[in-house]
Amino acid sequence: MAENRGLQALEANVIQKDLCAFCGACLSLCPYLRSWGGRWVKLHDCDLAEGRCYAYCPRTELDLDAIHSGLLGGPYEDLAMGPFRRVVMAQCTDPQVRQRAQTGGVVSALMSLALDAGWIDAAVLTRRGEDQLPEGYLVRKREEVLICAGSSYVAAPTLEALNRGPWNGDERIGVVAIPCQVQALAKMRLSALERKTPIDRIALIVGLFCTWALTYRPFMEFVRIRVQGVPIQKMDITPPPERLLKVHTHGDVWNIPLDEIRSFIPPTCGVCLDMTSEWADLSVGTVEGMEGWNTVVVRTERGEELFERAEKEGLLEIRQLPEANFQHLRDASLLKKRRALKALQERGELATGYLKLSQEAVQRILEDGTEAES
Amino acid sequence: MSLIAKDAPGQQVLLMGNEAIARGAVEAGVKVCAAYPGNPSSEIIGSLAQVGEDLGIYVEWSVNEKVALEISAAASFAGLRGLTAMKQNGLNVASDFLLNLNLSGTKGGLVVVVCDDPSALSSSNEEDSRAYAKLGDLPLLEPSTFQEAKDMTKWAFELSEELGIPCMLRSVTRVSHARGNVKLGEIPKDVREPHFDTTHPIIPLPVAWTHRSLHDKLAKCRERFETSSFNIYQGPEKPELLVVTCGSSWLYVREAVHNLGLEDRVGVVKLGTTWPLPGDFLRRHLKRAARILFVEEVDPFLEENVKAFCAENGDELGMKTFLGKASGDMPDIGEMNPDIVTETLKRIFRVSYEPRPSEYAQNATQIALQHAPMRQLGFCAGCPHRATYWAVKNALAMDGRDGFVLGDIGCYTLGIAPAGFSQVKTFHAMGSGTGLANGFGQLERFGFHQPIIAVCGDSTFYHAAVPALINAQYNRADFLMLILDNSATSMTGFQPHPGTGRTAMGQEAPVVDIEGLCRALGAHVEAVDPFQVTETTHTIYRLLQKGKGLRVLVVRRECALVRGKREGKLFQVRVDQQRCIGIDCGCNRLCTRVFKCPGLVWDPETGKARVDEAICTGCGVCAEICPSSAIIKEVA
Ligand SMILES: Cc1cc2nc3c(=O)[nH]c(=O)nc-3n(C[C@H](O)[C@H](O)[C@H](O)COP(=O)(O)OP(=O)(O)OC[C@H]3O[C@@H](n4cnc5c(N)ncnc54)[C@H](O)[C@@H]3O)c2cc1C
Repeated sequence: MAENRGLQALEANVIQKDLCAFCGACLSLCPYLRSWGGRWVKLHDCDLAEGRCYAYCPRTELDLDAIHSGLLGGPYEDLAMGPFRRVVMAQCTDPQVRQRAQTGGVVSALMSLALDAGWIDAAVLTRRGEDQLPEGYLVRKREEVLICAGSSYVAAPTLEALNRGPWNGDERIGVVAIPCQVQALAKMRLSALERKTPIDRIALIVGLFCTWALTYRPFMEFVRIRVQGVPIQKMDITPPPERLLKVHTHGDVWNIPLDEIRSFIPPTCGVCLDMTSEWADLSVGTVEGMEGWNTVVVRTERGEELFERAEKEGLLEIRQLPEANFQHLRDASLLKKRRALKALQERGELATGYLKLSQEAVQRILEDGTEAES
Repeated sequence: MSLIAKDAPGQQVLLMGNEAIARGAVEAGVKVCAAYPGNPSSEIIGSLAQVGEDLGIYVEWSVNEKVALEISAAASFAGLRGLTAMKQNGLNVASDFLLNLNLSGTKGGLVVVVCDDPSALSSSNEEDSRAYAKLGDLPLLEPSTFQEAKDMTKWAFELSEELGIPCMLRSVTRVSHARGNVKLGEIPKDVREPHFDTTHPIIPLPVAWTHRSLHDKLAKCRERFETSSFNIYQGPEKPELLVVTCGSSWLYVREAVHNLGLEDRVGVVKLGTTWPLPGDFLRRHLKRAARILFVEEVDPFLEENVKAFCAENGDELGMKTFLGKASGDMPDIGEMNPDIVTETLKRIFRVSYEPRPSEYAQNATQIALQHAPMRQLGFCAGCPHRATYWAVKNALAMDGRDGFVLGDIGCYTLGIAPAGFSQVKTFHAMGSGTGLANGFGQLERFGFHQPIIAVCGDSTFYHAAVPALINAQYNRADFLMLILDNSATSMTGFQPHPGTGRTAMGQEAPVVDIEGLCRALGAHVEAVDPFQVTETTHTIYRLLQKGKGLRVLVVRRECALVRGKREGKLFQVRVDQQRCIGIDCGCNRLCTRVFKCPGLVWDPETGKARVDEAICTGCGVCAEICPSSAIIKEVA
């Protein structure tokens, strides 16, 4: 029998190995897989030899050369943070947006503009719902973008919303995604399997920087106990040197040191090779040490066009990113890769062929610092 | 008019064994009949209910076997004749009362019919109820033929009345459910006035006296049995082998002896009165041979009692060789049949007999397998239980804490099978799912965190779940109880019950409100329609999250067969062949591979599902689960 490339293999190679990133790429493609209460839920067994759930999963197979050449042409060369045109820092000029946003509001500003200017007709974002449970959320109007502003540090099945729709059938779609989701989107776009979701109408991908995303249930149980069962209104993570999880309840703020929540980082984040959403049109994160400013990695032509237009319309203020910050970003990104490769090595996953990357490239990443210094 | 009420003495009619028993009761002038349905006994009360009104007999479906026995006993206490009928498991329920009633004694004839189910063809066990006769020192009769089924029943009333104790009549599936000729007797016209003699309390105390008296009654009973025409011997004066048998096994023995041509070598003692043993009768015949073979279903009841009898009478009867279950000559589980007896006799007598070519059975099976479609234990098309278990399965998967279902007795027991998506993980006796849930619901203090769902049907709810629910509320057990109310006792043939608004005799009755009852207990109670699959799933999920205490969800939808008999399809259902994506990724035959309603069929030629018009009952549930919206339901 040919090797299974369907749900059975997904379960064996990803779920049972505790490698599910809970990105949502496999969910609601069919009646078998759903997200529920922050968990990947299999409702029934499926015995298909080949399925989209397996094909789209960022943890089944990852061929970085194939993704690069498939999406952009040519081999995968910038091993530190993927293909890019320029890296700058930026901030949304609208203080109201900044106030709602996680960092500088660049993501919300770009999505609003894209919707407004008709670049896209709908966007797949992530909203914090009841009990802080994040879920994919579909918006069609600029006013709705701010509903989703701010980060949830819990892994969200955002892409399930892309799979589920409902779609009219002709919209162009924008997605805001973290790196595992951006990888899944890349695999979707390159998949040879019959398309039943609007993959080919994805017109914009804004990626976020990410080092980890927490597992909802145990994390929330922990937080609930820490805040003594008081209803939670909001949660924030503050940057170094503070490094706190701030939990806002009615009138109170509870500070929990980040180290205490590390145990809720799922093992899958430890094998993730991407910190900067390398296959997005633009990637956005924070600027270390500068509150309210985003680092923006402009990667593709359409990313560049949108970004320029935002600047031109005065929606964004753009500045040069200090060299030290740029270096720091590269180092951090490369460090995540190196750690992931080591983790994969330790787990024996390199041998299973999960990662398709030249031996030479692997060596370059593993050899401490070489790439970061170049 | 039904044959069991036919006033035509001397006429031969074709009756089912259970009807013959009912007719025997009619000929005995029975006045009160009560039972809880249970196969293979259900037709006894079912057929009496049809003629009750005309013959002036009160017939009821009671909530359980114990109450049913108490109702017929009350008739007896008032001087009338009473009958109750039950399956083997039912006697366990009734036994608490029965094992006091034997001591207190009875007045009017009281007959307890127990229909055993050897091989458990429609039961959860194959217990041999005869042990209760011995345990309770009660007379036991076992009919072999349909005529005997009628005649013994009638006699049982007379015996009971004469002795002042209940009389047990034990049938088995093959007697109860087969049909044969029965010569009718007279239907009595006498009228008795019921009256309870308040000067004579009917109580089991003082036991030293009542137990003594019971044994005296049994001794008198033995005398009656000595001369009973239901005990017979057939065979030569001095056979090489003596077969001791009873019930339907007697017929198998006769057939085997005849087929093997052993009439001159084998003698057969057929006992119709199996407890207490008719000693003189036995002694006469046991002398005939040194080798004795026992043929009976299911336990070695006669075997052990006759062996003990032989030991007591060793001086007179001499050494015997016993062949039976203990010696391994007869199977010690399951039903008997002529083949089993034939094989044993062939071995004993070293004779060969080939009723058909040796490969016949194998060939027949092969041919049958070729033509018979593969069928699993399943729910009917449109059965609400399928929809319910679908919702349970999804809710438990969504919950993700490895929750499980404690099952119970009814159609929904099939939740153990793929038809119910194998959701049910235990089932035992009536109401036991709820009782077990009480226990699991206390284990959290030891670190048990799996959610618990108990299921029970509407009829089972009234029968045995209510006390367990009271216990749950009182002792604060944590579980979710699903009452699968399909408004009928479906498994046994749609008998009415306290929730149906109708009595056994067809009269209107007040409906005993399940929700109201549970609310009165203090439980959190909700109700859903399982055909609203999504709503049901989410309700179950929500109630599972609702932490503590007893939660009751009534899942209500009438049995598809009951509804189907009354009205047509709810919906006209069809599969849009264009939209159906069949085996493709995104569906992979969800409806025919996973949901598996028999009304949906997979057409391998077109690679699409379609609706089998003849089987579909039009519930429309499949339209809700189809991921491609290819199943279309239109109001019929
Ligand atoms: C799990 C997670 C980890 C992160 N880790 C880092 C990090 O290590 N370093 C760093 O520099 N930046 C990190 N970020 C990015 C950072 O938090 C901001 O999202 C980013 O700076 C953009 O800020 P903004 O003000 O432009 O975003 P906003 O304008 O506030 O928009 C935020 C957008 O993020 C989306 N979103 C929110 N939560 C999630 C989620 N869980 N999954 C997917 N999308 C989501 C929403 O759809 C929204 O559109 C992380 C973000 C997430 C979600």
